[in-house]
Amino acid sequence: MGKIDSAIREIHQVDSLASRDSLLTGIAALPKLLVTLIYIVCVVSFNKYDLQGVASMIVYPLVLMIVDEIALGQTLRRLRVVLLVVCAVGIANPFFDRQIVFTIGSVAVSGGVVSMITLILKGVFTVLAGFLLVSSTPIEAICGALRQIHVPKIFVTLILLINRYIVVLLQEGHRMSQAYALRAPGQKGIEWHVWGSFIGQMLLRSMDRAQVLYESMTLRGFNGEYTGDTPEKISGSGVGYLILWSVVILALRIFPVFALAGQVFVK
Amino acid sequence: MPIVTVNHLNFSYPAGKPVLKDVTLAVEPGESLGIIGANGVGKSTLLKLFVGLEGVEPGALSVCGLPVTKASLPGIRAKCGYVFQDSDSQMFMATVGEDVAFAPKNYGLSADAVTKRVDAALAAVHIEELRDAKNYQLSGGQKKLASIATILSMEPELILMDEPSVALDPKNRRNLIHVLKELSGTLIIASHDLDFIYDTCERTVLMAGGTVIADGETRVLLKDQSLLEANGLELPLSFTVRA
Repeated sequence: MGKIDSAIREIHQVDSLASRDSLLTGIAALPKLLVTLIYIVCVVSFNKYDLQGVASMIVYPLVLMIVDEIALGQTLRRLRVVLLVVCAVGIANPFFDRQIVFTIGSVAVSGGVVSMITLILKGVFTVLAGFLLVSSTPIEAICGALRQIHVPKIFVTLILLINRYIVVLLQEGHRMSQAYALRAPGQKGIEWHVWGSFIGQMLLRSMDRAQVLYESMTLRGFNGEYTGDTPEKISGSGVGYLILWSVVILALRIFPVFALAGQVFVK
Repeated sequence: MPIVTVNHLNFSYPAGKPVLKDVTLAVEPGESLGIIGANGVGKSTLLKLFVGLEGVEPGALSVCGLPVTKASLPGIRAKCGYVFQDSDSQMFMATVGEDVAFAPKNYGLSADAVTKRVDAALAAVHIEELRDAKNYQLSGGQKKLASIATILSMEPELILMDEPSVALDPKNRRNLIHVLKELSGTLIIASHDLDFIYDTCERTVLMAGGTVIADGETRVLLKDQSLLEANGLELPLSFTVRA
């Protein structure tokens, strides 16, 4: 089925993005991971009515996308499902919080609308930051960096295995849906009465394949803990990246940069 | 001393019919052994038992000088390379190089040693240029060679291969035969591709009904048309074409 096929392709494309040669992929995983964490913490720490402050945080993903030549449209398309969920989070706010906080011309804007937009922006920015990290760093390197900041091995191994098994699950789903489509000409998708056995079979087959994968790993010395690469040495550019972005992100968090810039133009 | 000893081995899956019945076999170091037989005679099961993938049968098996028990499995697995029938299931890392490096890293080798092992393993199967290739971009033949490289990096004493020629086109099949002939160490191949066994193994064991029916020189055993046909096999295709 096209959707499963394109999901597998998109996973592979993100893998390919992470392993290409670019300014950002040349930097060690640890500084990138730390900057991403600092960014996410700063974004979520804004007050729910501080729309201006949250909006100013767009600088980080925007600059990275330009520097790393990642297309915004493609990124948003890839993240569409997650972003829809994120956008749905604050959808009820305008109904509960109707206090007018400001007006734009004759249009009154309630606190609920502001908090909804703030929540949406927070969600979009944090998802974008995560995406920018995985699209510029191979998953193994991210896991290596997680180990460097002492995230327990069990979690790191779990992340790696989930990353591998998702593809296995999708591949099985793809094979089965192709087999179905070839024997059900003219049908759009899979009929509802087949879904029970279809999903059941897909899970059983995925488990079988996952079992073989696991056996293959254990036969090559895997004992429940992934032994990744030796930690990458952080170069000068990595340190510079970490310091520069930490300063910029903290400045954006502490100072009302957009308001200050606006005042400059108004004066 | 044999590298593999199978002594009156019986095996059945839980609540299932017996798969292996009184199998006795010894493989000397440096031998290349083909295990042939029709589908379902227990060839793959036997291979899996060598490395404990189907549980352990105490007392009946010894591999690389160690009895196959739960406690000795890590030691046995460190000395054996097992190539699965489906290369997709064998390779789980993002790139060929990472997959080939997986085992040496797990066995605690230094970064330099890992690099050397990876270089040597890729060179042994002539795919040095695929080091940075993504696994999902490989053709069937490349995947098979890469999956062999993933176990060669362990420098195994014993190589076990389950149906290695399945789904390979003639050119890749010939290439694989060429690569296997170059390998040193002990090789055990389970397959119903008799031409492949003829080209790669000096000795062959014929299995039927879960037991060993014949054991002998490949070039003699595979010419025994009546024996093969009595056990659900046919003469290798190359023999019939020549005839």
